[in-house]
Amino acid sequence: MPSTQQPPIAGAAIDPPSVRPAIDDAVIERVDVQALRARLQALKADGYTMLLDIGGVDYLPREPRFDVVYHLLKMPLKAANVQQVGTPQRFRLLCSVRDGEPVPSVMDLWRNADWAEREIFDLFGIVFENHVDLRRIQMPYDWEGYPLRKDYPVRGPARERSPRPAFALKSNVQAGTPPTGRTLEALQEQVKQARDGESK
Amino acid sequence: MSTTPLTPEIVSQEGNAMVLSMGPQHPSTHGVLQIMLEIEGESVVKAEPEIGYLHTGIEKNMENLFWSQGQTNAERMDYLAPSSNALCYALAVEKLLGITDRIPERAQHIRVLLSELTRIASHCVWLGTHGIDLGAISVFFYCFDLRENILDLQEASGGARMHPNYVRVGGLNGDLPAGYVEKLDALIAKFPGRMRELRGLLQANPIFQDRTIDVGTMSAEDAVAWGVTGPALRGSGIAYDVRKAFPYSSYDQFQFDIPTRTEGDAYARFLVRLDEMEESMRIIEQVRKKLDTPGHVAIDDPKIFAPPKETIALSMEALIHHFKIVSEGFRVPPGDVYQAIEGPRGELAYYIVSNGENRPYRVRTRPPSLYNLQCLKGMAPGNLIADLVVMIGSLDPVFGEVDR
Repeated sequence: MPSTQQPPIAGAAIDPPSVRPAIDDAVIERVDVQALRARLQALKADGYTMLLDIGGVDYLPREPRFDVVYHLLKMPLKAANVQQVGTPQRFRLLCSVRDGEPVPSVMDLWRNADWAEREIFDLFGIVFENHVDLRRIQMPYDWEGYPLRKDYPVRGPARERSPRPAFALKSNVQAGTPPTGRTLEALQEQVKQARDGESK
Repeated sequence: MSTTPLTPEIVSQEGNAMVLSMGPQHPSTHGVLQIMLEIEGESVVKAEPEIGYLHTGIEKNMENLFWSQGQTNAERMDYLAPSSNALCYALAVEKLLGITDRIPERAQHIRVLLSELTRIASHCVWLGTHGIDLGAISVFFYCFDLRENILDLQEASGGARMHPNYVRVGGLNGDLPAGYVEKLDALIAKFPGRMRELRGLLQANPIFQDRTIDVGTMSAEDAVAWGVTGPALRGSGIAYDVRKAFPYSSYDQFQFDIPTRTEGDAYARFLVRLDEMEESMRIIEQVRKKLDTPGHVAIDDPKIFAPPKETIALSMEALIHHFKIVSEGFRVPPGDVYQAIEGPRGELAYYIVSNGENRPYRVRTRPPSLYNLQCLKGMAPGNLIADLVVMIGSLDPVFGEVDR
């Protein structure tokens, strides 16, 4: 069954931050794949010690097709109270990736990138270079296709109908016979007899 | 605890090493977690959690549902704290719509109330099951009795015990019903005594202390490197709490502290969560005082929030708005947003991309449990299998949101 998803409206969501002023929740930046690793290394050296999340987005007709989104947080590396933590700076790094183009893994910079990258590989089919253990994480190992791609259908193919059981055959229904084979009159008669038996 | 990252070179098959699959039906894995263990005798050489047994494609489904329908799916992720998930999703969509400032104050207070109630309820489940893992059965009954009172409140407000779907984009689904505040007062009165009992059962219990002190130790640096948030991070000494760092709803109006510990072991995380329950109750008491002031609980914008059902018989516009919202939902301007809240397990966040349609283009969840669970890979090696059970319990993963 084909996907029921609507393709994105032409050109509108190609680059959300460019469509309208970005919502002020983080520092937002966009880099190329070639410059990605160097930029992330520089950010880590700059104090973005925590990798909050890596997300993927598929903008189907666009080229390059995917966005990989890194969410970083400036976090102290030792015990700190509320005042010392304050309002830590968030950083959002967007990186456009073509289909089949490898993305450098950041597993050696932030250890929790492991599962995040595996999940993007599993659901989008984006390959991360130098990842130690890149295999499916959410879907079964032998799954084909990448479910979160926009051209992946929401539903699987319709199953074949199982043959109708004998009691539901058309001839029975046409004759007005319930599946039990007993007619309404027969049932009423049975009930009446039972009641008569009770009263006697 | 081994602090070196796991690479294939470290793992050896020589000697007495043996591979053991723990789960996915193991009772102490709190759901459907499988851990591939490499063990030598009783000690763990390598632990590789295998997840995905509960993957239901919630994120894919949400791309195909209206903005308001997606919320029902969001609640199903962390099934122990449905209101937190719903609140985070609603806040993200409200930010995209640009209506964050227009949410009525009463709705904000009730949202705070709900997320603190779910925090206590969720910690109750954690404490009860953590106790059972360690052989303390009776804690479970005390915890579930307390949770029952909170579920009653959830049922009263939202109509359902587990997934009330009460927090909506634009406000709340109706005001609190009559009798709610009285039930809440009863809970507030009952809570301190119940907490004393819970602490009395476990906190000074020598068996419990033996099993948890110095088990699953995680330094602040490790916790940050693994992306651990919530009570697990605060148990390692870093007082990062989204409620204080990036206040949302009306959290900036209430007084509360962020309990922290510096030991970083399972016992520290246990104490942090217990203190957190008491801090939550402190917030609830403050919210309770503000609940006497009546007010609107939803935004006054019929394009986003359907007008009350009673008005559709009286007003043509109300009928049209109702029909539009039910049949095609509302549209959200294009853009992307990262909205985080402090869920019971840590930083719960949604990264949502909108392309101006009546459905989200992409919803990415940052489930706190996923990252908290992942640190098991660094924490477990070198420890006993029996301690692994303590570690899983002290990280408090919920597999609805790990697998989504």
